[in-house]
Amino acid sequence: MSDPFDIDAELVRKLSDLLSETGLGEIEYEDGGKRIRVARPSAGTVAAPVVIPPAAEVSNATTPMADAGHPGAIASPMVGTVYLSQSPGEPPLVKPGDTVNEGQTLMLIEAMKTFNEVKAPRGGTVTEIAVTSGQPVEFGELLAIVE
Amino acid sequence: MFEKVLIANRGEIALRIHRACKEMGISTVAVHSTADSYAMHVRLADESVCIGPPSATESYLNIPAILSAATVTGADAIHPGYGFLSENANFARIVEEHGMAFIGPTAGSIATMGDKVAAKDAMRAAKVPVVPGSDGAVENSDDAIRIANEIGYPVIVKAASGGGGRGMKVVEEAAGIETAFNMARTEAKANFGDDTVYIEKYLAKPRHVEVQVIGDGQGNAVHLYERDCSLQRKHQKVLEEAPCPVLDDATRERIGRICAEATARMNYRSAGTFEFLYENGEFFFIEMNTRVQVEHPITEMICDFDIVAEMIRIAAGEKLSLQQSDVTIEGHAIECRINAEDPVTFAPSPGLVAEYHAPGGFGVRVDSALYAGYTIPPYYDSLVAKLIVHGRDRPEALMRLRRTLDEMAISSISTTVPLHQRLVDDPSFARADYDIHWLESFVETS
Repeated sequence: MSDPFDIDAELVRKLSDLLSETGLGEIEYEDGGKRIRVARPSAGTVAAPVVIPPAAEVSNATTPMADAGHPGAIASPMVGTVYLSQSPGEPPLVKPGDTVNEGQTLMLIEAMKTFNEVKAPRGGTVTEIAVTSGQPVEFGELLAIVE
Repeated sequence: MFEKVLIANRGEIALRIHRACKEMGISTVAVHSTADSYAMHVRLADESVCIGPPSATESYLNIPAILSAATVTGADAIHPGYGFLSENANFARIVEEHGMAFIGPTAGSIATMGDKVAAKDAMRAAKVPVVPGSDGAVENSDDAIRIANEIGYPVIVKAASGGGGRGMKVVEEAAGIETAFNMARTEAKANFGDDTVYIEKYLAKPRHVEVQVIGDGQGNAVHLYERDCSLQRKHQKVLEEAPCPVLDDATRERIGRICAEATARMNYRSAGTFEFLYENGEFFFIEMNTRVQVEHPITEMICDFDIVAEMIRIAAGEKLSLQQSDVTIEGHAIECRINAEDPVTFAPSPGLVAEYHAPGGFGVRVDSALYAGYTIPPYYDSLVAKLIVHGRDRPEALMRLRRTLDEMAISSISTTVPLHQRLVDDPSFARADYDIHWLESFVETS
């Protein structure tokens, strides 16, 4: 997991916009071993660690947590490794645009050598798959959106 | 040495473990519930994994979730802290079965000491003095009546799977033994899943004196002298001091040596504490804690030794980094446990800590995960800070304690700082004239 560290200008711009919008003094973003901090010059007046409001998208963790407000968000019920298909090489169980029924298996999460099915809590259309196959996920992490 | 340690705990001890790891160049993984996403150690750790919702059962006690987090992050060791899974023999075993090191004793040691009846047997075999008692489980109320009469009232009925001050019933006289015995069994079953109980002599005015030991599981063990933890409310420690203010050197060397030898004889690995009741010059073993304890900092201050770092080294296979002759006491240390509770009613007081200012200066240490702007969640225990002072002697430590308590500022929640301030000004406390019942009557009469 050692990619060369390319400066993602788009990310830096996004972080800077967030700074302005939210009025924060600094934002630190970390992904694996790479860390970016964007700060406003006058941020030195804040002595205590910056309080990150719960609504902020960017926090010290990189993981997009399922936004409780979004009705279609499906959050990971556990810690593990997510797989989008039944076995390697097979096509994914669902993809964006698919219609799913309540109870349909969307993806699998493997933990301690057992596979657990993540099922659609309601019928609808898959609008987003937020994870990649083989990726570690934590409790509450956004897996998919079914609207 | 480990590359990555997963911290299976929260609050101030998680921060303590994180700090020891960073000082050893080890990277840290913080597992946390959704309620702890903004905890200090989560923010500082190299990686964090959310393992569940606020309930401890679904997060900090959730073995599959913790192991899963360790697997996905590639941790090579897990430090369990205190409480939670730290004395869960099953967890210790599973961690090692998964090829990771458990930074603590072996599952076998945990299991033996977790069974309070087996622990006493082991202590007797290791020539450690024990509280006179039933010498094993008491099976029925007829036996309870007979044994209690033999021991002599007052007696205390204890759950074999209890510990930490829970699952105990005091019986002053014969009329109460049958009821107490039956109630204790029922409660033990409900709380610990095991209704095995035993009976001990209840000592009138003992002090709680405990000895810190550390072994490397390779035959070496030392003691790091003792702590006096008599000041308790509802069996929970409130303030601790090291060394015990009423022991003379000969006594402390003797009990220390007994504990170190027992530790070596058991080939015990990692940190542990032998807890005793001390009365009229005699020690009576009550239980051994097979974990790092909340009050470990006062021992660290007087012995100038990092217990958590040593636990990590030992877990990585190293031998003990000191010998008994290296261990000496310098001065006196006191720790105040500061809880987010009303200082009079002890009602819990979670919520936003708008202002936090910790005292500082010479001989002062504050172990706390608080910061200004942090919200204390309501789901866990109420300990939020440990204020530790060290002085060349007890009077100096007391002066320092008074000064630092006056500087400590935590708002707008309630804390037990005012209780400690009253304690520090009390003449009996100043004379170290207290026993394990003293604090409760102090609190009642205040």
